[in-house]
Amino acid sequence: MMNDLLSAPLTLNWTLSFRCNFSCSHCWSRDEAAPELDLKQLRAIVDVLAAHRIPFINFGGGEPLIREELLELCSYAVSRGLRVSMNSNGWHLDRTMARRIRQAGFSSVGISIDSPDSGVHDRFRSMPGSFERASNALGHLRDAGIKRTMSSVICTINHQELHGLIALARTYEVSALYLHNFKCSGEGMKNRAELDLSAEQWRSFYQHAIAIRQDLKGLNLTFDDPVIASLPGYAEQGMVKGSSCGKLSLHLRPNGDLTPCGFIPLVIGNILEEDFSRLWHDSPILNQMRNKVPTGQCASCASYEDCLGGCSARAFAESGDFNSPDPHCWK
Amino acid sequence: MGPKRHTDIFWRVEKQRETQALEGVERGDDCSEIGTVTLISGGQMHQLNLIGGMIWNLCDGQHSIEEISSELALEFEADSEELIDDVRGFVSDLQARGWIDDE
Repeated sequence: MMNDLLSAPLTLNWTLSFRCNFSCSHCWSRDEAAPELDLKQLRAIVDVLAAHRIPFINFGGGEPLIREELLELCSYAVSRGLRVSMNSNGWHLDRTMARRIRQAGFSSVGISIDSPDSGVHDRFRSMPGSFERASNALGHLRDAGIKRTMSSVICTINHQELHGLIALARTYEVSALYLHNFKCSGEGMKNRAELDLSAEQWRSFYQHAIAIRQDLKGLNLTFDDPVIASLPGYAEQGMVKGSSCGKLSLHLRPNGDLTPCGFIPLVIGNILEEDFSRLWHDSPILNQMRNKVPTGQCASCASYEDCLGGCSARAFAESGDFNSPDPHCWK
Repeated sequence: MGPKRHTDIFWRVEKQRETQALEGVERGDDCSEIGTVTLISGGQMHQLNLIGGMIWNLCDGQHSIEEISSELALEFEADSEELIDDVRGFVSDLQARGWIDDE
């Protein structure tokens, strides 16, 4: 475990554009808008990351493949020693694009598939044919020899479909299946009553997933959710306790504004206009997230020292206060 | 030729912590718990303390175990002969983790 703040984050989650060809039920960015930077400015951001030895860029969005500059930007970042990945809905990822992605130097590509049932996935993503395109994208990535992962946002449509998701991931020989916990931001907040699990359902889901993972071979089943730390006997240590946002990672909006993560709409500064180190070390928002104070049920909870109140984004979305308990907490 | 870091392992010096550790050593404090070098291997983050980080930094394929020990001895005003076994043990541990090429 680290005993103090790192000199810089390890990962920058970079939203190049809020534009997307899908309209997903859980999307945090559907109603977001920001000017987009040109390639010269995007390269300048890569220079900032390289100067501060921030090694990992993960492009998300919005759909990253909507930006024509993506591949050239990736090549530049790789030439500066950075490792670049992205998460895509797979729609624009055909055989030719897979080859171009490989040439650009992407270290891995994640494709979002939320259900092994094509109809369920298509309805969730509000895009007929999206399951087939996403599945085909995984096949194209495999054929092009690109490391690939699969991402699923866990919610009411799929929390009992874990075996099916794993089987699908195995079909395309992905290295990891990321089970993203549902965030009540943007469309996710609007559709929360329909999509979010109860705290008890979250506990059951994670207990089930942990049990499955113990016997899983050849596939990395990943779920990065700080509330898991309060499960009895859960001994796995993350890189940091509590939310990793603002401790190991930051999020970049299309105009260069930095936020702790995509789900927390609080701007700490602009990467092209302000000194990055100063923002990282001195931002009152980040320091508040790094030094949370237990409130409510957390104040007397024995698990707090392990989970640090759970996901700060969910707490903030529900109450406007990072210190509030994570609404997914079952304790 | 000496021990050489794997090129696919990302690592960086945590400058502020390194300064903090060096100042602590000057004062005679125990700074062994301060992580001054961060490594990412296999999706996991690892940290090395000041001495471990210095050894890691010198594992560039150009420094032998004896030369690394001499560099450390100079930095910490110690006898390099007394450091060799510790340095060798540390490098062996790095090799066992797959972070250093076998010599």
